[in-house]
Amino acid sequence: MEKYQCMICGHVYDPAKGEPKQKIEAGIAFADLADDWICPVCGAAKTKFKPVA
Amino acid sequence: MAVREIVPDVYSVGAVDWDLRLFDALIGTPEGTSYNAFVVRGTEKTALIDTVDPKFEEDILKNLMKLGMSSLDYIVINHAEQDHSGTLPLLLEMFPGATVIADEKCCDLLDRLLQVPPERIQMVKDGDTLDLGGKTLEFLVAPWVHWPETMLTFEKEDGILFSCDLFGSHLATSELFVKDFATVYHAAKRYYAEIMMPFRTSVKAAMQKAAERNVAIIAPSHGPLYRDPSLILDAYEDWTSDAVKNLVLIPYVSMHGSTAKMVSFFTDALIERGVEVRPYDLTRADLGEVAMTSVDAATIVFAAPTVLFGPHPTAVHVAYLLGALKPKAKFVSVIGSFGWGGRTVQYLTDTLAPLKAEMIDPVYVRGYPGPEDLSALVDLADTIVKKHEGIVTKP
Repeated sequence: MEKYQCMICGHVYDPAKGEPKQKIEAGIAFADLADDWICPVCGAAKTKFKPVA
Repeated sequence: MAVREIVPDVYSVGAVDWDLRLFDALIGTPEGTSYNAFVVRGTEKTALIDTVDPKFEEDILKNLMKLGMSSLDYIVINHAEQDHSGTLPLLLEMFPGATVIADEKCCDLLDRLLQVPPERIQMVKDGDTLDLGGKTLEFLVAPWVHWPETMLTFEKEDGILFSCDLFGSHLATSELFVKDFATVYHAAKRYYAEIMMPFRTSVKAAMQKAAERNVAIIAPSHGPLYRDPSLILDAYEDWTSDAVKNLVLIPYVSMHGSTAKMVSFFTDALIERGVEVRPYDLTRADLGEVAMTSVDAATIVFAAPTVLFGPHPTAVHVAYLLGALKPKAKFVSVIGSFGWGGRTVQYLTDTLAPLKAEMIDPVYVRGYPGPEDLSALVDLADTIVKKHEGIVTKP
């Protein structure tokens, strides 16, 4: 599954790890995160994330 | 700052901070700054756009009194940072009938930072308008033009864009409007480098919103106003573009002269090859100048000696700052000298990782640089010349 990176602060969402601080388990694809999900580091909206090349 | 009329019924009521020399306890502001605030008076309602740093609350209150403002209907907050919003709690006390206008994220921050009661706030969405009677304010939500909640306010009838921090400059001046852009350019570029550069993509999106409107005047919240918006818009076009210049930035620290010797030799090697170069001794340099040079540099070469087990702390400080400011440099490298070992190169490389620049092989030598070390620097200069071919814009 593809990793996504925040264009504001550089944080990477890695589906293999999930987002432990937000209690999001490993194995959840970026696309399946809620629309109002926000970057755990800087609070940017989901739309500010781009796939990591 | 005295009250000044921008156009009929639109006034500048902010304050000039002539003596500020350090902003955010971090970056020098050698020319001071201003906290601009504006009154827009319609036939029906009156709005204040932004406030001032709390240090200058007396100034804004006096200005509002001079304008004979016994009441105020709206206070538009484009940005919740305290140098603009900090006077808000006092103004809400002085003007009990005033409603705060802010976007969704700003509402949250006003609550957290200034404990503004939610019932005093009217939330606006992108494109919402407010008719004051012959003066219409349009709110343009422009997130991440430095903070998540940033907003621009466009006054339609006169074409004034109140852009808050965007297009601003830390410059204390008695002139309301830019007279000589050559002098303001430097301050505006410095400001861009320090504040806006990490958000280059979002800045472009906000510029697009400005381009879609008939903007006659740009009124930022720091520094003078623009009667010719193209001056600052063209400059931003250049700074936010992907283009880099044939320029190498060398932030350096030296303790006993070895790294300084390398920097001096390397600087000459680059000059001889027609590359523009700007070394900064970080023990003396103004961080704003370093940031400003990083706006254009195609390559950044960090030069630092090893202290105990890693880089000199002053170099770490600046590498961290550049990592956060994310200039568009395409290449980075590290040079310097060590006594017996350590992780300097790795540490600096990791700290500069957010730049996503290609790492060119470092030249990290033991002790005072000998002929072989200098020859490695010549090779580094040659490599940089080659790397720059085709990617840099030459004047």
